[in-house]
Amino acid sequence: MNTLMRLTVANIRSLVRDRAALFWTIFFPIMFVFLFGWIFGGNADARIAVGFVDMDNTPISNTIKSALSGPDVPITLQVGSLEDEKAAMQRGDVAAIIVVPKGLGDAAITVKSGGHASVALQLYLDPSKQSTNQVVQAVAAGISNNFNLGLAGGSVVLSVDQQSLSSTNINNVAYLVPSILAMALMQLGVFAALPLVQQREKGILKRIGATPLPRWMLVASNILLRLLVAVVNTVLIVGIGVVFFNVKITGNVALAAGFVFLGSGAFLSLGFALASFLKTEEQATGVVQVVQMPMMFLSGIFFPFDFLPDFLRTIARLMPLTYLGDALRQTMVNSTQVAPLAVDAAVLAGWLVVCLAIAARSFRWE
Amino acid sequence: MTQNGESVIRVSGLKKYYGDVKAVDGVDFEVGRGEVFGMLGPNGAGKTTTIEVLEGLRPPDSGTVEVLGLDICKKADAIKQRIGVQLQSVSLYPRLTVTELLDLFGSFFAHHVPTKQLIDMVDLGERANARSMNLSGGQQQRLSIALALVNDPELVFLDEPTTGLDPQARRSLWEIVKGLQSRGKSVMLTTHYMEEAAELCDRVAIMDHGHILEMGTVPDLIGRHFKERAVSFDSVATLPLERMSKLAGVTRVAQEDGQTVLYSKDVPATIGGLLAAADEISIDPRNLGIRQATLEDVFLDLTGRALRD
Repeated sequence: MNTLMRLTVANIRSLVRDRAALFWTIFFPIMFVFLFGWIFGGNADARIAVGFVDMDNTPISNTIKSALSGPDVPITLQVGSLEDEKAAMQRGDVAAIIVVPKGLGDAAITVKSGGHASVALQLYLDPSKQSTNQVVQAVAAGISNNFNLGLAGGSVVLSVDQQSLSSTNINNVAYLVPSILAMALMQLGVFAALPLVQQREKGILKRIGATPLPRWMLVASNILLRLLVAVVNTVLIVGIGVVFFNVKITGNVALAAGFVFLGSGAFLSLGFALASFLKTEEQATGVVQVVQMPMMFLSGIFFPFDFLPDFLRTIARLMPLTYLGDALRQTMVNSTQVAPLAVDAAVLAGWLVVCLAIAARSFRWE
Repeated sequence: MTQNGESVIRVSGLKKYYGDVKAVDGVDFEVGRGEVFGMLGPNGAGKTTTIEVLEGLRPPDSGTVEVLGLDICKKADAIKQRIGVQLQSVSLYPRLTVTELLDLFGSFFAHHVPTKQLIDMVDLGERANARSMNLSGGQQQRLSIALALVNDPELVFLDEPTTGLDPQARRSLWEIVKGLQSRGKSVMLTTHYMEEAAELCDRVAIMDHGHILEMGTVPDLIGRHFKERAVSFDSVATLPLERMSKLAGVTRVAQEDGQTVLYSKDVPATIGGLLAAADEISIDPRNLGIRQATLEDVFLDLTGRALRD
């Protein structure tokens, strides 16, 4: 045990003293959190200019207008005709348009007197402005909820009908934090191939082979180091998400931690398997990039899985990062699923076992 | 073959092939306790392969190999506890310090020498807290020897310990090896420097193309091949070799590094004849010198080429 600890400490020292390695394993993912946090988190204080078109023109529709103008609502209304507002949106003067359709007043009266009727608020949104759209949607949904509650004890009179944008809208910081964590764990594991190949190329593995040190200890100390870094990564990435970007961890923390370790294990064995076939450090650097880049971009880390065309989605379905990202999003922020958690766990465990078997068969110490 | 008959290494019929390459092709030798045994040969002769089989790093294809009385194929772990190993041009964890590396390697063994003592032994006191990547070539080599000594081994393997070092660093390494011998360690080393073998080794084996060509003490080897002394001078095209071989006292003629070497039993007569021959064609032999035959001459005689190529 003493030997294993010393070996692990030696590995930790080697990592901490290697600035480039430290940057890629610890600070690079953190940079991503800040970068994407700022891009997608938006500025909470800024009010969004929204066009308002009242086609109903009744006291009821006026109530909605004044509700939307309230001080707690993070938008400023610009009232006009639909044509004017569409033109304003084209120019970029307003970011979205809310339309109250004709017949809302009548519908309200019908419902009050016991009948059934429903109308939809129409939203015009710009697909390129994700975070803005989420705010506008939330506001519109809130207004219609309040309206329905006040009117008829819950029966739906007013709903939100969204125009011109697909319904996928989850690209926010809460989505990104578990995704970036998954990316960091993937890189942590896959990049583990590099020091191994380097140590083999320089003869360090061979030199240690000439001592009585059992080889499993060398492997174990490597795994310990990486799992330790995985914990550091998790704490930093999630911590920054919570502290700086108001991400709420709403899911099952124990299950999330389990997936952090399972995912690290799977990618670490992928790294070991890669190191079994790579001879030189240059070669390893290239191949590791070829493995990690497509995973980074296709596994639903930076944009949702559903955005991918079918053939890419098939490829992404084969990638372990797809499942780790999915599992972490589900268990940390209750995101919608790509696959059930059991499938995520099974796929990751499968990768772990297969890669470990390959590494055990093919790894060369010199 | 050895002083007291006890062998720390016993190799017979060792073969190791890599595909078509017969790296080691039937080698037999023994090393006695307390002996410094040198394996001499050019690159690719099979020295490193032989030593790595002895260290338990490669399994032999055939033959028997006993180290410290134990079969390397069966008892490699027990052997590794008791031997010290320095590999050819190995770099270590580059970002660990001298002290950290010695502590780490010490923890791999059941018994180990205090780090401070090792550092003093190889004279690295001033660099004890330097990272190994920042050491000079000679210091790295000394560290590498200190690492080979962490477990106070009975038998130390040094694979080309001075290759690439400047003469001063080489001498300081020689002192360390002599120190090992004086403390009763057995040492097996490989080198392609003749003067190193002559300086350090009780016995040497000359190896080429996977075979041991000759084995014995340095004076033995020289005596076995040369009763003569060597007269050498810068080669002159107009002094044909057959003519040289007929000069008085000359037994053999060789060409080496642009010099003609005449091995002679009667040096004054040979030089007289040489000068007369040179005079006839009005030249003056340059860099004319007389020396004892050396290991270098033995190697040239055995393989037909100089060792350095």
